[in-house]
Amino acid sequence: MYAYDKYDHAITNARVAEFRDQVERRVKGELTEEEFRPLRLMNGLYLQLHAYMLRVAIPYGTLSANQMRRLAHIARKYDKGYGHFTTRQNIQYNWPKLSETPDILQELAEVEMHAIQTSGNCIRNTTTDQFAGATADEVADPRPYAELIRQWSTFHPEFSFLPRKFKIAITGAALDRAAVKWHDIGLILKKNDAGEIGFEVLVGGGMGRTPVIGKTINEFVHERDLLSYLEAILRVYNEQGRRDNKYKARIKILAEDLGAEEYARQTNEEWARIKDQPLDVPAEEAARIKSFFRAPPLPVLPDDVPAVDELEKKNFLFKAWVKNNTNPHKVPGHVNLTISLKPHGGIPGDATAEQMDLVAALADEYSQSEIRVSHEQNLILPHVAKKDLPAIWADLDEVGLGTANVGLLTDIIACPGLDYCSLANARSIPLAQAITERFDDIKRLQDIGPLKIKISGCINSCGHHHAGHIGILGVDRKGEENYQLLLGGSGAEDASKAAILGPGFDEHGIIDAVEKVVAVYLGEREDGEEFLAAYRRLGPAVFKEAVYGAR
Amino acid sequence: MALVNLTGVTPGTWDVIDTDSAPREGAAVAVPLARLADEDETFFKAVGSVGAIVPTDAAYTDLAPLANKLAFVVIDFPAFGDGRGFSLAVRLRKDLGFKGEIRATGPVIPDQALFLKRAGFDTIDVADDREAAFKAALERFGAFYQTDFVGQLSVAHLRHSKTDSSDKDADGERKAS
Repeated sequence: MYAYDKYDHAITNARVAEFRDQVERRVKGELTEEEFRPLRLMNGLYLQLHAYMLRVAIPYGTLSANQMRRLAHIARKYDKGYGHFTTRQNIQYNWPKLSETPDILQELAEVEMHAIQTSGNCIRNTTTDQFAGATADEVADPRPYAELIRQWSTFHPEFSFLPRKFKIAITGAALDRAAVKWHDIGLILKKNDAGEIGFEVLVGGGMGRTPVIGKTINEFVHERDLLSYLEAILRVYNEQGRRDNKYKARIKILAEDLGAEEYARQTNEEWARIKDQPLDVPAEEAARIKSFFRAPPLPVLPDDVPAVDELEKKNFLFKAWVKNNTNPHKVPGHVNLTISLKPHGGIPGDATAEQMDLVAALADEYSQSEIRVSHEQNLILPHVAKKDLPAIWADLDEVGLGTANVGLLTDIIACPGLDYCSLANARSIPLAQAITERFDDIKRLQDIGPLKIKISGCINSCGHHHAGHIGILGVDRKGEENYQLLLGGSGAEDASKAAILGPGFDEHGIIDAVEKVVAVYLGEREDGEEFLAAYRRLGPAVFKEAVYGAR
Repeated sequence: MALVNLTGVTPGTWDVIDTDSAPREGAAVAVPLARLADEDETFFKAVGSVGAIVPTDAAYTDLAPLANKLAFVVIDFPAFGDGRGFSLAVRLRKDLGFKGEIRATGPVIPDQALFLKRAGFDTIDVADDREAAFKAALERFGAFYQTDFVGQLSVAHLRHSKTDSSDKDADGERKAS
């Protein structure tokens, strides 16, 4: 993991001091809420329906066991004993007191964390593959580049007041687990014919009310040119992105207006002017940052572990958990273990302080003290020896973290919705809870197979419904919560936009509709055909008939 | 109003003239960019020096033909969140080679003081009661993650530079030069 040096500490501490000063001025009444708003929004502090919400950055979803313990401590001391992990691999606290938020930032700074880049019209926390550096299928570890981008984009003198927020994601693997094509900038690590590392660069992806899949503007930008190239993209956007309408202010709108070719041309023209300036980091600095992300020295172990096999025979839930919640590791005998934060009937992405402490302890004992957060709102122990799975399972299951549903229908992404959010039109959390209760059967879920449900409580799409195999969008219909059903989206390398199937439903109706969609899939699928593939083959008509035929 | 000086430049004083009023002969005048684009050489000869008042929605390419005739540029922010003003200043320094004073006017906020300085601004027009907050904000950060176009190297470079004595104070204090 990256470790701060004196510069990183100085910058983070200066930020805490600045924020403390701002909060003190607000509490004393020297700043009005209107004046304070832009300041707090530069520190991840939102005013929600009921209270302030503090969003803390977990850069590229990587944190240490010590950092996780600090997050647990903050949940306990300053909040109501829990936190909510988000689709940007961050954590949100829903009940902090304004006067205590500077203390929270101070406690975070002590463990090299902060709330920078978690709100405002700046370049936000860069996200990446939750298995980065630990998966067998990657060209290179994306985290050093994410750290480079973190530093470059922190308090950027020119790009801190963009037309709108700006999100960058990187994947180093062929299987895209970071939804890079749905980002303002998507970066795909590649090697060229000479074996050099670089990036395919996509621009203009995004969700919201106008979903757009990003388009490639450069097939290969050499790694040494990454920051200057990003700077060129951002300058074009900062100058020309629309500022008259916040719903048309994202780069996707500019990229659509200009066209990908023209966006590429302008970017390349600007890049040619700046590429020889010292914007990119020196080779020694790239090497320094990479050195923090060296693969841990894991021993090669046998892939067959009799103790695991035996427990699988005795315990179906353990067997399902190993099957669904582990991914291949690049070192034999190891796995990436995903801890589901989607207990059936629970709140997607929430974790209590006790659960966070346990995950930290398990990371210390079994995973090189390292933890990841996925954009799908789960936690990952990235370096687990297979032989340790039975012990880990027992500990997790005891605190309600043993749900064996990763990648299955109940592994739902949901935004906070109307329970917390002042923008929402409808509740998301209770719907996710009700769906997971309806499908509370691991054997059935495994039979249904990989199926991603994503729920947003309003058109801002924080719950990624456009990218859901089944997407659900909450809308306000004459004062009533109403849910639209979308099918066929994907956030992966085969990115696609989900399409609305038909008229919306109330809360009970939408759950029944999901059930019918699943029934059609089970009835129509060919051997081994997953839901998304079946939908793409069948088209919407058969689903529409089943869901709406009688109406 | 108070003037916050970011760079130690000797700040100019000038008459602000609008779209149709006549300048005093030999005076320094700040003129809206739209008018300047229409003025010919006689206008520039009649006054002492000319600066442009530039709205943030101007394209830097509109400034290009004028840059070498201007003594100063005023970039007028309609709202603090209109970040185009930062890119305009960067373009003036980086692409147009502009060496004169660049002043920010409009409702910019103290927390932007360092951003403005690093984008290439020299001075900011601020309300009197905000002057202290602007000055305090200028002292807040001593290290920066980006190389800018006004001479500040990023910490990524400083970390590996011979002039960076790592026995310096652990707080990494380093004032922008």
